[in-house]
Amino acid sequence: MIAEETLVQELQRGESRPKAFEVLVNTYKERLYWHIRRIVLDHDDTDDVLQNTFIKVYRNIEKFKGESKLYSWMYRIATNESLTFLKQKSRKMGISDQELKDKMVENLQADVYFEGDEIQLKLQKALATLPDKQKLVFTMKYFQEMKYNDISEALDTSVGALKTSYHLAAKKIEAYLKEN
Amino acid sequence: MSSQNNTMKKDKKNSFNTPEGYFESFNDRLMDRIRKEETNEAGSIIPKTDGFAVPNGYFDEVTPTVLSKINTKEPKVIPLKINRRLYYGIAATAAIFIVMFSLTWESNPEPLTFDDLANAEIEAYFEHTDLEMTSYEIAEVVSLEEIQLNDILGDDLEDDIIMEYLDENVDDIEELNLEDIDYD
Repeated sequence: MIAEETLVQELQRGESRPKAFEVLVNTYKERLYWHIRRIVLDHDDTDDVLQNTFIKVYRNIEKFKGESKLYSWMYRIATNESLTFLKQKSRKMGISDQELKDKMVENLQADVYFEGDEIQLKLQKALATLPDKQKLVFTMKYFQEMKYNDISEALDTSVGALKTSYHLAAKKIEAYLKEN
Repeated sequence: MSSQNNTMKKDKKNSFNTPEGYFESFNDRLMDRIRKEETNEAGSIIPKTDGFAVPNGYFDEVTPTVLSKINTKEPKVIPLKINRRLYYGIAATAAIFIVMFSLTWESNPEPLTFDDLANAEIEAYFEHTDLEMTSYEIAEVVSLEEIQLNDILGDDLEDDIIMEYLDENVDDIEELNLEDIDYD
């Protein structure tokens, strides 16, 4: 696997850019897909947002100064793209953000690419009740098994605040699952 | 002080015991517990997987799809090596174009106005642009004193237009409940 620093240098140099970008997409497509999927829930929407994320990365790579890890920087773009996508979707549908979240979970029952059972559907319902930040922290830690330092860079939040968010989210989800 | 020393000595001599290797393995067990608590593994009822799936072969298609989009959206690079004859040709064409454009420009003195924008374009702008402001927030930024009725209507309403409107739309002038009150 190519070192991140080398990859960034090649991405910022004209002649090696296309090849380096292909390496970048191959390296991060799955991780970013699952990150986006856990925010927008639907596969086709995730595919759109994932492509937009990579296009944004390609167009802005020259502005990347290396102050954070490339991986965290891309997570930040993917997170922003996903949240913006949801905001635009709720506006187009003329419903509130919460109504959209509830609708997205409702749609999972008929989604051929959702193979979850009753408890996993309840988990999604519980996640839909959380504030965006808590949901993000929880899924990044619990399902994507990211380190707090990496989440901290991606979400621009201190590790202490992330730990608090994570524990609050876990308690709320557990309480929801017990009640329902 | 002497009684404390006696107690400590007693403790050292006490009959409590620990399992073999207890203190040697203490650090590992502590770290393991911290890790478990951080990932919420300790007896959690939260499922370990979330049930999402992807179509077969989806990840194989992602890279070519993204690369094709990058290639089509990237502007084509035109080499700057042009010979002198071509250069003069381009310059002459540009000169003719500029002259024709300036003549056409002068023959059309009507400047573009806001009215020339189609309503559909304006609606599309508000539909697709993320203004990130609610009507309440807009109201906070733009104070009521700055908004005049005529800003919305565009033109001043002439008296005869008002009279014509009332004539056509009000059956009984009494409905207006007008009283001849002098407010001066």
